[in-house]
Amino acid sequence: MTFELERRTLLRMLGLGAGGLGAAGAGTLAGCLAAFAQEKDAVTIGWPVDVPAWDPNQRFTPEVQVIYKLVFDQPLGQNPKLDLVPNLVTKWELAKDALSLTVELRDGVKFHNGDPMTAEDFRYTFFERLQGPDKIDTKNSWRKVSDIEVQSPTKAVMKFSSPAPTAPQWLAFLGSYVVPKKYMTQAGVDGFNQKPIGTGPYKLVDYQLNARIVLERNDDYWGGRAPIKRVTFEIIKDPSARVAAIQSGQVDLTTNVPVREVGRLQHEPNLAGEINPITRVILLQCRNDQGFADDNVRLAAHHAINKDALSKAFYAGAAVPLSVPVTPGTPGYLPDFRFAYDPALAKQLLAKSGFGPDKPATIGFASTNGQFPSDYDIARAIVQMWKEVGINADLQTIEYSKYFELNRGDKLPEATLYSWDNATGDPEIYTGYLLNPKLPFSAWKGMDVGAKVLDLFNIADYQTRIAGYKDINKYAVEHGATIPLLQSVQTLVRKKNLSYEKYGNGWVLANTMKWG
Amino acid sequence: MIASVLPLIGRRLLASILILFVVSVLLFFVLHALPVDPAAMSLPPNATIAEIEAKRREMGLDLPLPRQYLIWLSQVLHGDFGVSIHYRRSVVSLVAGTLPATIEMAALSIVIAGLLGVVGGLVLFHVRGKREEPLIDFGSILLLSIPEFLWSLFFILIFGVALQWLPFTGRLDPDMRLPHGSGFLLADALLAGRPDIFWSALKHLILPCFALGLAFSPTIMRVLRSSLIDVYHEDYVHMARLRGLSERRILLHHALKNAFLPTLSLMGVQFGFLFGGTLLVEVIFSYPGLGNLMVDAVRNADLPIIQLVGLAYCVVVLIINTVVDSLYLLLNPKLRQR
Repeated sequence: MTFELERRTLLRMLGLGAGGLGAAGAGTLAGCLAAFAQEKDAVTIGWPVDVPAWDPNQRFTPEVQVIYKLVFDQPLGQNPKLDLVPNLVTKWELAKDALSLTVELRDGVKFHNGDPMTAEDFRYTFFERLQGPDKIDTKNSWRKVSDIEVQSPTKAVMKFSSPAPTAPQWLAFLGSYVVPKKYMTQAGVDGFNQKPIGTGPYKLVDYQLNARIVLERNDDYWGGRAPIKRVTFEIIKDPSARVAAIQSGQVDLTTNVPVREVGRLQHEPNLAGEINPITRVILLQCRNDQGFADDNVRLAAHHAINKDALSKAFYAGAAVPLSVPVTPGTPGYLPDFRFAYDPALAKQLLAKSGFGPDKPATIGFASTNGQFPSDYDIARAIVQMWKEVGINADLQTIEYSKYFELNRGDKLPEATLYSWDNATGDPEIYTGYLLNPKLPFSAWKGMDVGAKVLDLFNIADYQTRIAGYKDINKYAVEHGATIPLLQSVQTLVRKKNLSYEKYGNGWVLANTMKWG
Repeated sequence: MIASVLPLIGRRLLASILILFVVSVLLFFVLHALPVDPAAMSLPPNATIAEIEAKRREMGLDLPLPRQYLIWLSQVLHGDFGVSIHYRRSVVSLVAGTLPATIEMAALSIVIAGLLGVVGGLVLFHVRGKREEPLIDFGSILLLSIPEFLWSLFFILIFGVALQWLPFTGRLDPDMRLPHGSGFLLADALLAGRPDIFWSALKHLILPCFALGLAFSPTIMRVLRSSLIDVYHEDYVHMARLRGLSERRILLHHALKNAFLPTLSLMGVQFGFLFGGTLLVEVIFSYPGLGNLMVDAVRNADLPIIQLVGLAYCVVVLIINTVVDSLYLLLNPKLRQR
């Protein structure tokens, strides 16, 4: 006899299950539709990175600076063209020898708890904290500060142990947010991280690690009320999920979505897609020895790369090809200098050193995969371009963190695909870091370039310093010490009726957003 | 009855200490053999090479590995699991804040996997030898071949984007705050008397838990089917038929109870894999659990977090296996009499 589960019983069981799900679904549908209804006084942003902490001096995480800038203020700001502008500091003057910086602070600024912001808070943030036990990254960026003299509640003088020509730029850069001395010393770092207090246009009202940040407008903000009352950051780390979130309307704006998705989402009736060039450079970090010891090989490698083709293939043509390791519109850029794409010249240079398509030069090549959009695809395309002229590159994938390990152990391959962001646009934070033999970024150890870069750190006069960086940018490229590729782009998708102010460094600031 | 499982729990506890020790050694040595530089990752980008070297010495990374392990073990025995390199706060607080979310999701997922597995297993058993069997069998193999992260993407596409029926990011609706409590949101919501938070949390769990449950249910279905086929050859089933019991009664009151035991053991093993599977699902659904924390820790070479999360996974799997074995003992009187 065979078994017969009564169909009626089975159907009943399945039906109960389906009915339960259906009831839950109907309830959720109603609830979701209500949740998706757009509030005009609020905006929800799908953001790829969470803050590491609410102490803004603690860690230099470039992607969260736009969140910190809503809760805290920096002494100096930048306008959309990246020029330095007054912020908490209304006037500043760098001494001719760059050994001191006099600042005048804005009067009448209050922290979110009502305490006034004064020069004492400025001194605490940029000097006293750095002497204490707190593990904060600003200890590195402000290591030259030997004292800050408080002359009045709104005037102070920063003093440096050695010339600090980019001190003003750093007052608008990573981690340089004024924190309240009284509150921080009372609450401690842990207490501050639980309930952060700043002077910014928004206050933190809710935070769920790796999930959500909810900010509400500071109606007493010294810079005027922001248009939007409530800003919610949904932390969505997966790019596909961000695409889904903007398409379904769960968020109003998101960034760092694949370039091809921007093209697709642009055709949605209520969405606008943008591919904006920003201050990030994509380049090859080069060794000065092993397979790249020969100038001809390095220069041939550069001439062989078709940067226009890379931009068209991977960034819809929006990424600007670069001949120097700085972005257009920034002080160190050379608008008239071009390093040509010339595969014939590449072959000639290789032939001078006895190489060619039949007898290729062999080098190692490393790239990340997923560290920035299309990184590995760019690397593979470059391998093919090199093959055509007579360079065989053995491509390996590395994690971003491995780059530093390899560099420290002098084990980097001849070329590494790298990307570098610099919200200030100042050339010191481009070339000065990328080709600095004392910092962990430079694969190039030759002192022909290294010594020049180190010298530039001590030049106080702005014009002389900038001219020096322009020279070294050209020199480094002409001698194959660096192979700049492209100005990278930021991908952004937003609801069509949501506007915001565009910054050249890709900042997306919620206090500039408006519903139109 | 409960007394019969106490010796098992005691033996498991002793074995767990040894297992955790071995796992901690393996984790420590494997992580420190990886080509990452925690010292560099713990400093800002503008730190000099000299500063990074000094940091390596401060972190003890220049000591021999066995000595580093003993220092770590000594700290752990004093309750100090270290400080996160990226977050710069206690690793224990980070893990404690995220573990309940993952356990909640995993628990609901295994319940769904179990329910789907049992119903599916009964259906597979019911259609054996019939015309529908190849089709249903093919369906179960198809389910088996789709991993949980693919289900996640399908569900987001269908229920999140196309139909817009369900949320697919986070744990709660944007206008809600997490209630204070254990971190098990469903329980905390009920205890706080907030049915709105309860339903919002449940809504947010539906898609990820079904993705996990659906991915792990086919194995349960197939094992239950095989167990039922085996059990149906037993004499007591023939005896039950001779006594005039209905097939339904034989299946549900006699055969299923015995056939379920191997399935229960499998579910214990499956839970271990399912718990590991939460990692990818959490990233896709932006669910703030242990998996999300672990992925960030791997990207940032945050070794203290990776070590403790690895141990946490080990502890959870050990607990679940002990619970399953205890249930096995409780459900099978023959084992209790031995």
